Order: sequence, then C-alpha cells, then structure tokens
Amino acid sequence: MIRIVRSTIIDAPTDAVWAVLRDFNGHDRWHPAVAKSTIERGQSADKLGCVRHFFLRDGSELRERLLTLSDLEQTFSYCLLDTPVPLFNYVAHVRLVPVTDSDRTFWDWRCSFSTRPGMEEEMKRMVGEDIYDAGFAAIRNHLAVSAGVEEHT
Amino acid sequence: MARVYVSSVINGPSDRVWARVRDFNGLPSWHPGIAESRIENGEPSDKIGCVRDFRLRNGDRIREKLLGLSDFDLFFTYAILESPMGVENYVATLRLTPVTDGNRTFAEWTAEFDCPAEREADLVATVGDGVFQSGFDALKRQFGG
Repeated sequence: MIRIVRSTIIDAPTDAVWAVLRDFNGHDRWHPAVAKSTIERGQSADKLGCVRHFFLRDGSELRERLLTLSDLEQTFSYCLLDTPVPLFNYVAHVRLVPVTDSDRTFWDWRCSFSTRPGMEEEMKRMVGEDIYDAGFAAIRNHLAVSAGVEEHT
Repeated sequence: MARVYVSSVINGPSDRVWARVRDFNGLPSWHPGIAESRIENGEPSDKIGCVRDFRLRNGDRIREKLLGLSDFDLFFTYAILESPMGVENYVATLRLTPVTDGNRTFAEWTAEFDCPAEREADLVATVGDGVFQSGFDALKRQFGG
C-alpha cells in the first residue's frame, strides 16, 4: 500500500477555498489536468455515492465516486472506479482547516493505493506532483483570478 | 461547554517544532508566559499521567496532568487539575501537522472546559489569546517567522 500526503497553506479563508473544492463536478474549472467532467445519472454533485465521469487533457477517461462530504468539517473523500493507469484501491481525502491567526487555509490532500510492481515511483510522482501539487498551484491561481475579477466589478 | 481553537503556521519542519514543544516540563523554554515548571514525584515528563506544576510570570500556579502523547501523530493532550482560572473539566490538545509544501508546520491548539456562563467570553480570550496564541507567536519568532 502506497500512501501520499501533500499539504499547503492557501492565502484565503477556508470558506473561499471550500466554495471551489466542495463541487465534486467542478474540477474541470480549476484543475489544469481535467478537461471535462460530468456527474453520471443526473445526480447532484453533493449526493453521496454520485460518480464523476471525466476526461483529462491527454484524453484519459476516469470515473470517481464521492464517499463522504462534510460542510461542517470541510472534508470530502472519494475513490477511483475506472482509470487507464494502474491505480488500485485508490481512496483520497481532502481536508481544509482554518489558520486562525492569519485567516488562511491549511489544505491536506492524501490518499492510499496500490499499483503494479515497478510502477510505484511513477504513480507516486503522478499523484503527488501532477495531481496534488499542481492542484494546489491551480487553486492559488484560480482564487487570485477570482479576486481580481471581483475587484474590477 | 466552552471551546477554544487557535491555529497557526510555524516556519520550521514539524519534527523540529515537535522537539521544542513535546517536553511536558519544557514550557518555560519556549512559552513566554511560563516562569518555571517541574514534574511531580520525579516522574519522566513523557510518562502518561505525570503532573506538571508550573508558575506563570504573573505568579499564578497551575497543575496539569498529561493524558496522551504521540510522537507519531505529533500531539499531546492534558487536563487542568488546579488553577486560579475557575474552570472545570478543562482538556486541551496541542497538535502539529506537516505542511509538505515548504516544509512548514501547521499548529493547532484546542481546549474545552466548563465555567459560569458570564465568565466564558473572558476565559476563552484568556486561554485563546493569552496562552495559545502567545505560545504560537513565540514559536514563530523562534523559528524565524
């Protein structure tokens, strides 16, 4: 079992970060790797058990199921159902916590999975860097852009 | 039940911040409000159940019991046995979590306690600002911001 833990500090209140992250179908609007996402069977994106069906920019097709979602704790969990890469039993957890002395956000993103022998390092790099670290940078960019737009209106 | 929650980011790796705060008898070495501390009965300060008897710079004396300590999860939990604050069932936890981006530390300090309703706001401020935030501010200075 491989475990990945990534965390960062975002210079925005948790409510602002959560407003973006809680939409399980919204990652195609902020994550650079995600091209298009839809929720299957017409379900709401905050209904537990809903499945997001999405395409990466490289054409890969993936499906993930929402396992938990809490507006109180500002957390959600999800698992991979289908993916073209060898990620097995992939379960991920996202957690936001306020940094009270500066009104910022601590964001913890972690997962566990297994893979084929020999693929460990490649999968660790892909998940930790291409998905999580790139996601942190994308949210920073997304929030800065949003703030800029608000200032101009 | 009154609750206090204070969190901060310390500009140092969590194992180094943990080394600074894990000693249950070590408050005077990093917290500016604490003048002196000792562990009762000559017990080691990482023995669960040990009691620290310490004195604040303002002269107040407090006795606290160590309830839990984890070098793996980087937290400790303790209860007040005796204090001049007039609180009951006071249990607090200091927890560190690594911030992998930048090798920093996310620090959280929480407390729950019972007190008369009319004193709750003052006590929450005393604990949250006077004890927890001033401790984090000192750690931030010690680790360079």
